[in-house]
Amino acid sequence: MDNPLSIEPLFHIGPVPITQPVVVTWAIMLALGVFSYVATRHLRIVPTKTQTVLELFVTTIEGQVRDVMNGDPKPYRTLIGTIFLFILVANWSSLIPGIEPPTAHIETDAALALIVFVAILRFGIGSRGVRGYLATFAEPTWVMIPLNIVEQITRTFSLIVRLFGNVMSGVFVISIVLSLAGLFVPIPLMALDLLTGTVQAYIFAILATVFIGAAVAETPSPQSKEDISQ
Amino acid sequence: MTIDWWTLGLQTVNVLILLWILARFLFRPVAKIIAERQAAAHAALDEAEAAKHAAEAARAEAEAARQAVLRERAEKIAEVRKDAEAEKQRLMAEVQAELDKARGQAKDELARQGRAQQEALSEQAGVLAGDIADRLLARLPKEARVAGFIDGLVEAVAQLPESTRAGIGLHGPVPLRAAQMPTEAEIAQLRAGLDTTLGRAVEIEVTEAPELIAGLELDTATAIVRNHFRADLDRITAEVRKHD
Repeated sequence: MDNPLSIEPLFHIGPVPITQPVVVTWAIMLALGVFSYVATRHLRIVPTKTQTVLELFVTTIEGQVRDVMNGDPKPYRTLIGTIFLFILVANWSSLIPGIEPPTAHIETDAALALIVFVAILRFGIGSRGVRGYLATFAEPTWVMIPLNIVEQITRTFSLIVRLFGNVMSGVFVISIVLSLAGLFVPIPLMALDLLTGTVQAYIFAILATVFIGAAVAETPSPQSKEDISQ
Repeated sequence: MTIDWWTLGLQTVNVLILLWILARFLFRPVAKIIAERQAAAHAALDEAEAAKHAAEAARAEAEAARQAVLRERAEKIAEVRKDAEAEKQRLMAEVQAELDKARGQAKDELARQGRAQQEALSEQAGVLAGDIADRLLARLPKEARVAGFIDGLVEAVAQLPESTRAGIGLHGPVPLRAAQMPTEAEIAQLRAGLDTTLGRAVEIEVTEAPELIAGLELDTATAIVRNHFRADLDRITAEVRKHD
């Protein structure tokens, strides 16, 4: 069994080593891209079943973002939705025999966390300005500045470790059980892994939303405005 | 545990590319179609609201028209009633006038008929009186129809004015009508009375006139002296008519 903590390149493109998580991610990107293209080619006012599922997904993402951030979900919809969808599909890719989910490798989780970290900076500065964003580190008092800085870093690391630990451990346990007990014994664990993967995708996406929401100034969403006006 | 930085970098790029792909082919189109549906729903709602307002306006307009029609109807009914009342009054006035006229005519007719009836009754009374007198006289001797009236005739001549009396019998015999032909004695008595009254001798020319019933009538150029029942009956009848 491969060591999940180590990663070996499958091939090289020039000096760049191409590892298995990268290849699986490409496959996921291709699948999601093709599916999205095909599914959204002929969108109509009166939706098909597939379109209804897609709209339900998008509106659910927007609803979650709106509830957490209490603001307009439109700027964050793509980021949060992509993170959730990618982690979900990546976690569920373990169902395919011989495929390790990219999220079971810390590089993928770190890449996702890095993107979230950059998004926090970008949306925080974009919302409050540089001075305003930096001023949030002095809240509630300037004494908290070191702790807030450390918090920014640690919570990013917590995103990485939480996702990596859960997915990797699931894969690790299934591999061990599979090697010990045979073909059908790991199936309940795999089903549990599906649930874990879904929950981890949701947690990662919600935490990213919470972190971004904490960084941006609170702005009422158009929906909230409408609700108030009514 | 080591981190493959190449993999980290590639995965970062991969996720960014996936972000673009999904934004381009999934989230934007789906969000766009949701927005279009919401816009269509809002447009439909606005259209329905506008249609509702239009329907309410049309209903209000129809109600106003209905009220106007009701007002016009009430006005026309009142006008027709007023005209009918005026026409009724006019017709009643006409009928009343015609009734008054007919009543007047009937009253006149009744009066006329009453008068005619009265005249007829008077006439009949006269005729009846004549018949009664004739029947009563029939029981008397025939001489009584003349002899009893000689003195009265003479007295009536005597009461005539002198000038009138002077003209009697100047130009011929005095015409004398008698209810029946008088006897010689009666003629002699009559001549003697007239001679005495007139102061001269006159001739008498007697003719029989049964219509006088009883009595004599002297008919000269200057005077007519009647002393007979017919004249009395005519006088009585005239008096009765005058008193009616």
